[in-house]
Amino acid sequence: MNFNLRKGAFCSLLLTCFAAGISAQTVSDAIMMKQKEICAALVYEHGSFDHYWEGTYLRTNGTIQTVKINSVAAMAAIGLHNRVNLLVSVPYVQTKSTVPNGGFFKGAKGFQDISLALKGQILEKQLGAGKLALLATAGFSTPLTNYLSDYRPYSIGFGANEYNGRAILQYKLDKGLYLRSSLAYLHRGQTKAERDYYYNNGSYYTPWMDVPSAWNFDAIIGYWMLNYQLKVEANYVGLKSTSGDDVRPYNAAQPTNKVQFDQVGASVQYYPKSFKGLGGLLYIRQLINGRNTGKVTSFGAGLTYQFKI
Amino acid sequence: MSYIRYANFYFFFALLGVLIISSCEKDLPTRADYSDYTFNKLDENGGAWKPVLLDSAAQIAIPVPEDVTSSAYMDELTDLRSSSSNLTSEQQEAVAYWTNNPVLRWNEIALELVAKYNLIPGPNDDGTYTLPNPADPGATPNFPFAHPPYAVRALSYLSVAQFDGLISAWHYKYLYNRPSPSITDNTIATAYADNRLPSYPSEGAVVAVVSREILTAMFPLEADYLAEKAREQMESLKWAGVNVNSDIAAGEMIGTGISALAKARAANDGMKFAQCPKPVSDSIKAAAFARFGWQWDNLEVPARPVGLTPLFGRVQLWNIPTVEEVRPPVPPAPGSAEYEADVVLLENYADNMTTEWRAIANFWQDGLGTYTPPGHWNRFAKEYSIKYSLNPLRTARVFAYLNMAMMDGGISCWDAKYYYHYPRPINLIPDFKTIAGTPNFPSYTSGHSVFSAAGAEVMTYMFPEEGSIFRDWALEAAISRVYGGIHWSFDATVGTQQGKNCAAYTLAVAQADGAD
Repeated sequence: MNFNLRKGAFCSLLLTCFAAGISAQTVSDAIMMKQKEICAALVYEHGSFDHYWEGTYLRTNGTIQTVKINSVAAMAAIGLHNRVNLLVSVPYVQTKSTVPNGGFFKGAKGFQDISLALKGQILEKQLGAGKLALLATAGFSTPLTNYLSDYRPYSIGFGANEYNGRAILQYKLDKGLYLRSSLAYLHRGQTKAERDYYYNNGSYYTPWMDVPSAWNFDAIIGYWMLNYQLKVEANYVGLKSTSGDDVRPYNAAQPTNKVQFDQVGASVQYYPKSFKGLGGLLYIRQLINGRNTGKVTSFGAGLTYQFKI
Repeated sequence: MSYIRYANFYFFFALLGVLIISSCEKDLPTRADYSDYTFNKLDENGGAWKPVLLDSAAQIAIPVPEDVTSSAYMDELTDLRSSSSNLTSEQQEAVAYWTNNPVLRWNEIALELVAKYNLIPGPNDDGTYTLPNPADPGATPNFPFAHPPYAVRALSYLSVAQFDGLISAWHYKYLYNRPSPSITDNTIATAYADNRLPSYPSEGAVVAVVSREILTAMFPLEADYLAEKAREQMESLKWAGVNVNSDIAAGEMIGTGISALAKARAANDGMKFAQCPKPVSDSIKAAAFARFGWQWDNLEVPARPVGLTPLFGRVQLWNIPTVEEVRPPVPPAPGSAEYEADVVLLENYADNMTTEWRAIANFWQDGLGTYTPPGHWNRFAKEYSIKYSLNPLRTARVFAYLNMAMMDGGISCWDAKYYYHYPRPINLIPDFKTIAGTPNFPSYTSGHSVFSAAGAEVMTYMFPEEGSIFRDWALEAAISRVYGGIHWSFDATVGTQQGKNCAAYTLAVAQADGAD
């Protein structure tokens, strides 16, 4: 099987991560859609946490008990050119606490942010027994609705614009094993609260809150099996805010918080030969270390469909 | 070559991004944006106003100042000339920060400390709760928990002591009429608008000492921070060229004297008993149940054994003779037609929450981690004092009456809360959920409503040119708690009337203090 002929049959996806209001939809795979090819995807994710990090202190809180975050994201990867893809994603998110809880807070739901990203393949060349690929993405996301970001842990997003840039490097052996890593800078703007005073290591007399920008790093090992029908991956994702304050003792989080986490995960993508263009996706992720975020466990399942226009 | 074309494309995209990013980020102010100003009037007879804690403006004695022609004063001017010239950039910043109305800055500092300490103690691993301990403020949880009753009380003592201290300062200023240094010696430059306020004793020094002393008593862990702030403010009086050492020393004497009186009152006003032990709390609850057939219970997980300050209703009032005379009537019994109508109302707000209701609920929430509702009204007082260019004495008067009225309102509100012990919506409406946090005390009446109505009455009196704006805000603050799902509408409407009733006592005192 010629890999170059087959590779257009796989979907590039935006990964979602809705860890307690830290939304991030990032493009970090090395797959390019060919010109005039579109991959559409629908991904459901269920996340939950009953522990969270208050600063670096891992705790529970009977006020919120277990927080559940359900989302459905519609995504598309569009081949503008063999080497330039446009990726779009729109998630709908719902949050709530399990009952009984001591807070009696209503959860939140709604369309979150639209993410747009351009992905370009800068380099692809044979190197020894495999191929080296270098890609870059430039992305933008902005809230689609006036959801309230200042309503942690139920906020469905951080409520600010994000501009991000990412470099992706992959080395893939012709036999199917690959290693990939990417590094991104997520420049996050300001979000508007519905109050005009808040405390962030001092008084702020404004409804605007700085959402800390962040570095995002990931590392993936994956393997294509069954004649390029099945892809399995194990991954690590790290995020580190460049500024921000800690959640104060037994107090609610807010968008100004410094968020950090280490997350490990695994995913399986299946592209059955018998259904041309159709693919399935399953994944699991777990935060293993963090700061000012829920210790989120999430499961996802999705369908992808690829077609030409 | 196609790579170049892509490079251009990325470059364009990046440039566009930078332009968008740089164009839409807002400055985030951390304090009031004002500088020194010309006072709208000097209140030359301010020394004749009736103080709150002092028997008379002359109660605290200060030395008769040296004459401006004396050699001792000349030496002081020489020293001031040197202190006020060649300032470092930090000294210039301090001069600009403190301005010629430091009452405003100290109120701002007080609000910041309230927000810093307004953290409710969380449960221990075994499900018990530990209370902040004033005898060991650094233990976990830190002392104090600056909840609304604590905050309004701290602000009351701060502004009452500032007010009395400034009445005393004004008395001596116009008794001795020592001109400001730059008038006696025109080689001394003054950094502030020259208001021709007599300089002995220094009103700035009074405010620095009073603020340091009262706030240190209220926030003991901040002693070093407050001492440094007060030191900087007093130094800045010399950097700004507005006071010589003897002006400042006399101001410190007044500040020390009035602070001692204020702290003595605070030590014995009953606040130390407000967070009563569980047996007392249980008997209060049982008494309400026996009287009315209902009771409020804390529903947190784990449940808190005692509500917030059940005996705050017994704390010493400023201007109301007895708390019973302002106690509101009995609320509608659960199950009554009026009560059932409120259930329908609350369910409607919850089920059909609009963006506007949500925004109002959040704007006035002033919950944990913030400066609290009394803090919100102090912020308004600061902003309007700047708008009307009030002198420090006038500013302190606004804060003093505002905070006395709000504290009296708060005491009355807490009396009603624990006398009636009325359940919250989440206690009575099955499966009810809220968008605001339900506080750890009974529902009737709403603290926000009482604080805000009392605050609005005083603000309306002090700034009559503003018409109905404060009362409109108070009504919005009151209904915000109903939108939030944590109060019945009668908590808000009765609370608003209660706040007005309480404020009337303070306003009667204000009307008779000689200032208007």
